[in-house]
Amino acid sequence: MRNRFYIMTLFIAGVVLLAFTLFAAYKEMNPEWKAYQKEYKELLVKGTRDEATKKKARELETNIQQLYLGGLKRIDRCTSCHVGIENPLMANAKVPYRQHSGDYLKKHPMSSFGCTVCHLGQGRATNKKEAHGLAHDTHWDYPVIPLKYIQSACVQCHDLDMLKQKGADKIVKGEQLLRENGCMGCHKLNNIGGVLGKALDIIGSQPRIYFPMGFVVGEKTPYSWIKQHFDDPRAIVPVSEMKVKVTEAEADLLTTYVASLRAEEMPKSYRRILETQKDGKTSEDGEALYKKYCIACHEKGKDSLFDEIFMHTIPAIVNPAFLKVVTNDYLKKVVEEGRAGTQMTAWKASAAGLSGQAIDNIVDYLTSKRPKEKAVPFNIVALKGDLKKGEELYKVRCALCHGANGKGELGINLRNPVVQGADITFLAMTVRDGREGTPMPSFGKNGVGLSDQDIVDTVSYVKTISKKK
Amino acid sequence: MSEPNHNGIDSFRNNLKSIIDSFASSFLRSGKPTSDKSRASAMFNNFFLHVQGVKTHMNTLRPTYTLGLGLISLFLLLITTVSGVVLMIYYNPSIENAYNTVKDITYVVIGGSLSRNIHKWAGEGMIIFVLFHMARVFFTGSYKKGREFNWVIGIALLVITFGINLSGYMLPWDQLSYWALVIVANIIQSPKEITDSLGITQYFDVGGFSKELFLGGLNAGKESLTRVYLLHVMLFPILMFIFLGVHFWRIRKDGGLTKPDSFEPQESDAQLFSPPEKKGGIFTTNKTYGLMELAGGRTPAVDKDVENTVLSWPNLLIAELAVFFICFAGVVVYSFFIDAPLKELANPLIPENPAKAPWYFLGLQELLSYSAFMGGVGLPGIALLGLALIPYLDREQEHVGVWFSGKQGKSVALQALLAGTPVLVGLLAFVISFGWFRNWWPNVPQLLITLVNPGNLWVVFMMLWSVWVIKKTGSTRMGAIALFTMFLVSFVILTYVGTELRGPNWGFYWSHSQWPPH
Repeated sequence: MRNRFYIMTLFIAGVVLLAFTLFAAYKEMNPEWKAYQKEYKELLVKGTRDEATKKKARELETNIQQLYLGGLKRIDRCTSCHVGIENPLMANAKVPYRQHSGDYLKKHPMSSFGCTVCHLGQGRATNKKEAHGLAHDTHWDYPVIPLKYIQSACVQCHDLDMLKQKGADKIVKGEQLLRENGCMGCHKLNNIGGVLGKALDIIGSQPRIYFPMGFVVGEKTPYSWIKQHFDDPRAIVPVSEMKVKVTEAEADLLTTYVASLRAEEMPKSYRRILETQKDGKTSEDGEALYKKYCIACHEKGKDSLFDEIFMHTIPAIVNPAFLKVVTNDYLKKVVEEGRAGTQMTAWKASAAGLSGQAIDNIVDYLTSKRPKEKAVPFNIVALKGDLKKGEELYKVRCALCHGANGKGELGINLRNPVVQGADITFLAMTVRDGREGTPMPSFGKNGVGLSDQDIVDTVSYVKTISKKK
Repeated sequence: MSEPNHNGIDSFRNNLKSIIDSFASSFLRSGKPTSDKSRASAMFNNFFLHVQGVKTHMNTLRPTYTLGLGLISLFLLLITTVSGVVLMIYYNPSIENAYNTVKDITYVVIGGSLSRNIHKWAGEGMIIFVLFHMARVFFTGSYKKGREFNWVIGIALLVITFGINLSGYMLPWDQLSYWALVIVANIIQSPKEITDSLGITQYFDVGGFSKELFLGGLNAGKESLTRVYLLHVMLFPILMFIFLGVHFWRIRKDGGLTKPDSFEPQESDAQLFSPPEKKGGIFTTNKTYGLMELAGGRTPAVDKDVENTVLSWPNLLIAELAVFFICFAGVVVYSFFIDAPLKELANPLIPENPAKAPWYFLGLQELLSYSAFMGGVGLPGIALLGLALIPYLDREQEHVGVWFSGKQGKSVALQALLAGTPVLVGLLAFVISFGWFRNWWPNVPQLLITLVNPGNLWVVFMMLWSVWVIKKTGSTRMGAIALFTMFLVSFVILTYVGTELRGPNWGFYWSHSQWPPH
């Protein structure tokens, strides 16, 4: 045959081309959602006795279903598979045919809200894997949210008081847990808080890559990350110093609330929040503030504790012996300036962001536990401190806990500028009386047995210790 | 009606009856191509076909000569263009809409996903096949014998191919697009490396100016997308088709494709084309006009056409049709199984790490990691200039149309391959293990690194080797073979390193699975 070679290759290539064009056409004509819609139709037909409904069901067209939500700038195609979501006949069907639970759709009609504004996921997609966006290779940053966290969507439009009345208990409890477990001691929210952890303000909107997923078990979604981080921070972030002790259920509630902290602002027509409520004004009382910012590390505050992970001692700030000798001004100073080199942040307005009034309230709360009896006064002006003797005494008595140069480990860092600036009387009384409930013994006549002169020598030396290397 | 009335109605009815025949003969002015003369006319008289000769040399039709590479490149271009126009129906080039329209094309439009895949794979396939085609033309010495300028046109087409691919890559506005755009913009700014070292940037900031011109601003954003779209759908295609037209025109004017002087028809050729008709005898027709051709040669040609040619209709056309079907089938099969990638929406706050250009630029990006200017502007410029000058530096006219110009060329190429590979791999291994100047002497001046870096050292080695080959063989053609072979070797190795062995922060990793988890 003439041109045999080219005719053969042409023929074979043509057959392959035709075959694959047909395969592609077949694939195009049978997308995933078609099967779901077919099954839905069958369920409908089987499920009713009424002939009119049966006829209607049989005549349903199979098409991509989509909701165009202009105000929310989205297109949701979830109903291409979740066909029966608004159909009461499907109340007991299996997912994805089942009707939406509760009466949420009455107040939140699908035509205005769609699905993804609450449930997240990729609304534009038309197959299950990419619509749910859970797998890493879907490259979708907002996967469908597990139903146990679904209440995190409500706060986009509703305020917590209203939600409390309407039974959205999970998100309300979650917010309370966050507020009362001192999380903002390390995590800023609304610009106020510590800096040891990352700010929480838009954490619910952060892309997947924001979360180091290396150690997350199961689905690598932000929600799994957050929940597992509550369960055991160091299992997810090995260098974390996060102090948290919550039950599994509480961790879920906290995750619900944290996931609700999103960046997107709903259009005004969708929102039901009064503008004045969502700010960071801290006109709350001292105890509420203590719970919000301090309790995570200081706990009840009666005893000091050496934290294995911090590698520092957390001082006992509601300790009766401490409160007896400390002045309110000194307490305020410590809270404002923090303790540089430790996990205690500076809480003044220009740093962590608490107002002066807020700090006063905290100090008032702390000192409200002050015992009624006053400490025995220490007449320090009569005595003059001998630095050399003080140094020797320090080496023998104090260096064991406070370190050879005062840096401290079990004991606090004496070189800290705030400690150095403390009233010498306060230091002397502390040394003399000790602090019951902490490892600091009483060094005075009732304890170790140092004389007042010894104590004055020692604290005079301590006052110079930051000048030594 | 009794007699033929010759009235108007009859004429009209007759015209209506013979409408098909009269249309056919107006369309095919010389009638159906059933004789050699009408086959010749079909080619000669057609607007599209007459850019090809009426007769084609047998050598051109041998698949092992050209491997159909030029045709494949052309057909990939046509497939890409058609699929591109289809995509333009739905794609919107604004940063608010681009990503969503691409998603909708993939999810909703019937045939959208296949069209996008075809467009992507045909487009990227074009780079591979254009490079193969360039290699074929080079190794058969087909840049000689008057075809020098067509080679330069080809180099221009190569640059346009890279440009059109790159601009297309930036259109979906996903993470890949955005960061590729940022990388390219910064490569465009790389002359700043030189002007900074010389301290003249404040007077002459060609880098910054070019970057701003490309981006339409100081940062990649909505203006950049508009410009890139303009380049991709309008400026580059127009340039491509103009240069392509010139490229084909020159093929004709330069006498078709090259063939070896020693060409002899073989037995195996019989299955490739049909021989000319043996009409036998003289005075078979009354017509006294026909196709005139000038032919060389001294002996009478018996049972074959002049100078070993055959009629283009149908021989060339059926070969072209076969290549088209292979090409199209390949693209469709590949596109059926493998989806064009699409990552998350572009996020200026979250750089990809590693931020990689598309694979065909990763060889360059590897060079870029040594010196921004040399990798981005210097070495590509030298490479393109070198390629363009090949026909002018090697003007030997022997062995044209023979792969590698014969045995010697084959061994020169093999030696270049065997010498170049370890040298390049060794250079890369050295840099990867020990670093370069700045790792050892942190204060070394940038200009020194720009001038002395692994990329430059490799180019110097290539040039020295080719000069040595020229000296040893006494032939510029052999030197050119050595140089070009090394160029191909380095393109492949550097692209491989950039694609497979570079991970976050452009660090070296033996495989993807070793990258640190983010």
